[in-house]
Amino acid sequence: MNTNSNVYTIVYTTIIVVIAAAILAIAAMALKPKQDANIKAETISQMLTAAGFSSKDDLAKLGNDQILKMYSDNVKTAFLIDAKGDKIGELETAVNDIELQDNLKVENKKIAEGDPNLPVYVFQKDGAEINVIPVYGAGLWGPIWGYIAFNADCTEIVGAYFDHESETPGLGAKIKDEAWFREQFKGETVNFSKPDDSFDIIKGGAPKDDKSAVDAITGATMTCNGLDAALDTWFKAYMPFLKKKAGAAGIDNDACCGGDCCDQGQCDHEHEHNHQEG
Amino acid sequence: MNEDLKKTLLNPIFKGNPITVLVLGICSSLAVTVQLKGACVMALSVIIVTGLSSLVVSLLRNTIPNRVRIIVQLVVVAMMVILVDQVLKAYAYAIDKQLSVYIGLIITNCIVMGRIEAFALGNKPIPSLLDGLANGAGYGMILIIVAFFRELLGSGTLFGFRVLPESYVPNNLVILPPMALILLGCIVWVQRSIQKDLQEK
Repeated sequence: MNTNSNVYTIVYTTIIVVIAAAILAIAAMALKPKQDANIKAETISQMLTAAGFSSKDDLAKLGNDQILKMYSDNVKTAFLIDAKGDKIGELETAVNDIELQDNLKVENKKIAEGDPNLPVYVFQKDGAEINVIPVYGAGLWGPIWGYIAFNADCTEIVGAYFDHESETPGLGAKIKDEAWFREQFKGETVNFSKPDDSFDIIKGGAPKDDKSAVDAITGATMTCNGLDAALDTWFKAYMPFLKKKAGAAGIDNDACCGGDCCDQGQCDHEHEHNHQEG
Repeated sequence: MNEDLKKTLLNPIFKGNPITVLVLGICSSLAVTVQLKGACVMALSVIIVTGLSSLVVSLLRNTIPNRVRIIVQLVVVAMMVILVDQVLKAYAYAIDKQLSVYIGLIITNCIVMGRIEAFALGNKPIPSLLDGLANGAGYGMILIIVAFFRELLGSGTLFGFRVLPESYVPNNLVILPPMALILLGCIVWVQRSIQKDLQEK
């Protein structure tokens, strides 16, 4: 047979490509449920780590089922809020209603458009509520995201976890790998008086008296800047909600200039006032 | 085992090592050698891809139209790589995340295509399979040696377990790709001083 004829070449390549496509399609379909379960368990274990239920290393040793069980045992309620911080819908606390990283990407766009549906996950730990919110943004090479856990009235960060797609190992990847970086977020607060720049990651070290700033990582300036911007963007989007929580608890009432007006920039005077206080 | 097969199997490990002698696959060997665990999974993935691709291409070798043989080879290699990536995503998610793009980039690893062109197209399936596996192993061995030193000196750990005392200040240079190239150079140096016939005059 002449393997160099045109007809043979075309038929041969067609058959090879179709066979390869079929094999890949079957493999993708067969493995999809398992892969989705992995992604879900990964997302949940990031939340659980941020909320302080366990450490990421310990969770990595557990099977997916155990991680899901830990989530359903501890989660109290989960809901969506709009740009004004009002609850607009419940999320099922059942495990299948988890907002995955892809959703965060969509929400990140919607924040810019001013019409996001932002998820809040409320966990119950040692009798107190913990509110976990996601953040998402651009690192140096790809997306970075994470979860920030607040105390019941959202006045204090109690934990954080960050992840990335392709930051440089040993440098930018340290936002995920270095426990000390995450630990710094504990006890920090979101600066309500500066809605556009409510949290800082400072190169060269954050001042000790600044409760809304942490140290950046050496050699990871771009990643830290990206994370800083992501935190600012998402904290701003969540700010009405965080303020409501803080206001309802009767804490920091003075520092909060009353709900939505801040976002519309109508309370410059009160901003001044807050600065003097701080 | 006859002499030929033995040679096919052992030659790529040391005397004709794809990285240190043929200087193929340098790119990924710089990128994935920061940690031993990643390097081991990468080595295993490459062994599987080179072995199976060589086997499949060797089975098809008499039917492949000569004019489009590179394309046919690419289809086979790409299929193997995507399969490996999918399986890792399903069963070793954490490691797949860590290796990220480099699994996909096995497609462009010169060792895979190089061995198919040089060996699998002209040899029977079993020797081709062994040649592929052995070349993957030769690549993996260098990867693991480099990763051993980089993780030890760059992070003070091995497989994530702390080996050097906390007082050891990790050498950040070792984590960066240039140091991998320097380590690779040292390995080539050691090999050539043992194996004198590789030295150019």
